[in-house]
Amino acid sequence: MSHRTARRATARPRTVVVTALAALTALTAAGCAGPSVGAAGGSDEPSAEAVDWSQVEPAKEITWWSNHPGASQEVEQQFIDEFKDETGISVKLVTAGADYDEVAQRFQAASQTDELPDLVIASDVWWFRYHLNDQIMPVDDVMEFLDADAADFQPALYSDYEYDDQHWAVPYARSTPLFYYNKDLWDAAGLPDRGPETWAELEEWDASLKDEVPEKGSTFGLSTGPSWGAWWFENMIWGQGGAYSDGFELTLDTPEAIAGGQFVHDLFHESGVATLSADDAMADFSSGLIASTIGSTGSLKGALDAAKFEVGTAYLPDGPQGGGTPTGGTGLAIPSSKTPEEQLAAAMFLEFLTDTENTATFSQSTGYMPVRTSAVESDTMKATYEETPQFRTAVDQLADKARVQDDVRVFVPGADALLNDALEQIVIEGADPATAFEEITPRIETAYTENVEPYLDPQD
Amino acid sequence: MTTIATTRAPEDPGAPHAGSAAPERTEPQRLRRSRLAAGRRRTALLWALLLAGPNIALLLVFVYRPLVESLYLSTLQWNLGSPTARFVGLGNYVEWFTAPTTGRIVLTTLVFTVATVGGAMVLGLGLALLLNRRLRGRGIARTVAFAPYVLGGFAVGILWLFMFDPRYGLIQELLGWVGIASPQWYTGRPWPLVMVIVVYLWKNLGYVALIYLAGLQAVPQDLKDAAALDGASAARTLRSVVLPLLTPTTFFLLVTMLLSSLQSFDTIKAMTQGGPLGSTTTLMYSIYVESFVNGRAGYASAVATILFLVLLAVTAVQLRFVQQKVHYA
Repeated sequence: MSHRTARRATARPRTVVVTALAALTALTAAGCAGPSVGAAGGSDEPSAEAVDWSQVEPAKEITWWSNHPGASQEVEQQFIDEFKDETGISVKLVTAGADYDEVAQRFQAASQTDELPDLVIASDVWWFRYHLNDQIMPVDDVMEFLDADAADFQPALYSDYEYDDQHWAVPYARSTPLFYYNKDLWDAAGLPDRGPETWAELEEWDASLKDEVPEKGSTFGLSTGPSWGAWWFENMIWGQGGAYSDGFELTLDTPEAIAGGQFVHDLFHESGVATLSADDAMADFSSGLIASTIGSTGSLKGALDAAKFEVGTAYLPDGPQGGGTPTGGTGLAIPSSKTPEEQLAAAMFLEFLTDTENTATFSQSTGYMPVRTSAVESDTMKATYEETPQFRTAVDQLADKARVQDDVRVFVPGADALLNDALEQIVIEGADPATAFEEITPRIETAYTENVEPYLDPQD
Repeated sequence: MTTIATTRAPEDPGAPHAGSAAPERTEPQRLRRSRLAAGRRRTALLWALLLAGPNIALLLVFVYRPLVESLYLSTLQWNLGSPTARFVGLGNYVEWFTAPTTGRIVLTTLVFTVATVGGAMVLGLGLALLLNRRLRGRGIARTVAFAPYVLGGFAVGILWLFMFDPRYGLIQELLGWVGIASPQWYTGRPWPLVMVIVVYLWKNLGYVALIYLAGLQAVPQDLKDAAALDGASAARTLRSVVLPLLTPTTFFLLVTMLLSSLQSFDTIKAMTQGGPLGSTTTLMYSIYVESFVNGRAGYASAVATILFLVLLAVTAVQLRFVQQKVHYA
């Protein structure tokens, strides 16, 4: 046999080339256009001189980045067509991601390039980051110029986008978490046709419900995940009198917050009322496996279509210290770097999308809450509520129970994902809540001191 | 050139005829020759630049420029999307080495890489040996084995996610037939990591098998015949003849698989998003999370640089030591 060992001399140059080329690809992952280095802080400077909108001619074509919340691509396209007929302005609808996070990530990556859209999805946990980065413009002036009647927006929803006495987005696909229950199983268990008023009541009902649910099923099911777990958990931590934070000050070490963690721990690991859904709790609910769950308002239409039983909706249950519901979902924002012509056209489309009639149409076809007070009272919505009373629950809950989200979750980049980590430790691994919270606290603090504090005005 | 200069040294450089032996060329001849040679070299260089130029330009713009930029970004504290940033020197690197999550991420990366590369190499070789036999329908079998490799990683992830569903999935059904309860593939550690490893293996097995198959077919038949004549069993022939001759293939696969495994992203993104509790977050995935979820582009660039150095070290070690053991027929 004529084997010979490869000579090292020939390996050397190849070593260098192969190694360098192969490894280089790893680095290209994070290479993007750079920022200017210096003292951080842009948000305190006005991003643009005040524009005299009456002197601006709107652009003829704009681009809109959306993830079509609530499977709304068709209805969004329908609005675009009507808008074109009315104004002659074309809107290019781009599917910029599968969810709010993906759209936001693309928007971040595109900053400082000319690939930015004229109108973009800005969810509850993302709009503030856009603002800190000077990526979006305040909408007050242009909405006033267009007579958009901002006072008609549901105050709890519009005020979510207020910072420095200006609004940085307009509410669009807005939701709250809802308590969904299977009316057929409720009936079989001999329970009244309503959701539980308190979590304690659900635990009582578990005794009769668990006999009715199928094998592998449970009375109540939930799923966790980024942009989701830390949202519904606000109801539970508030129910025990706790909160994630007071302003930007973390309050995860208070006895009340830990009690919130203990509550969710026991719900899964002590009373056994709840089980963790493998992927999507809404799918487990619609298939009849779990008798109740928490889902977004935006899932309502899908659940009504998918379920073979009658779907009931109710307010989120209270804890011993009350509770409340966070609001969420997404608004729409206008990038600050676009020309006034594009910004005006985008604002005109924004005004059109959220006028009374279109708000009602959007709400009716998705289940998201009508963002205008006048739309709630419109004939379209009245007819919808008559036919499908489940749609009404979210609107009533908003009026009765809405509470502004804790600052840390919505304003500190990455905090939502970290809070979800702690929640998963408690729910999946049965970890001690105090330890789980303690572990994420320094990481949230770092995120705040690095990515928020330097960008805030001194007076904030 | 130096030798010419030395031989000419005692002579008058200006003298037209040096009176030397016949093969010696005259000075103008020499000059003409060297000018011609230089001209040819210039033309060759020009051609080389012309032909390789576009590729070099692409590499410079899309590989080397981002590399340098990324190195620079790793010294900044920069909120992705922000127009401004702050210089922090090696702060991001210090943070990575002291972060409580680093150990877990490195361990996950190690387990994922060893399992996927090792598994794909062993199973891929087995599959190649099988496909190398004269079987009926061999062509179809080869196509089927290779097909997963050309599918998109994200689509593969989503499909397998359905199959792994612990409540409705195909796998829990199959396990149910033999009386085994399905593991909590999505939520119960370490199963999510096992799940992504299985899927990544399945997707890349065909590639390894195909390359090994090509290697197997290049093994000269006369060597195998000689081994058979010497009375070697099939196993002995495999161990002593075939496997040593496959070392260049093994080496090539080891390098490419290791690099692609360390950089795999799509399967994890589609199936687990690095969770639950970071149990499927590899180094590569952590770059994405830090950069795009947490907005910490400077820190993410530092992690990318660290991954770069790891890949550099791994490949250098492989080329240095493994290649010494490579045999060529």
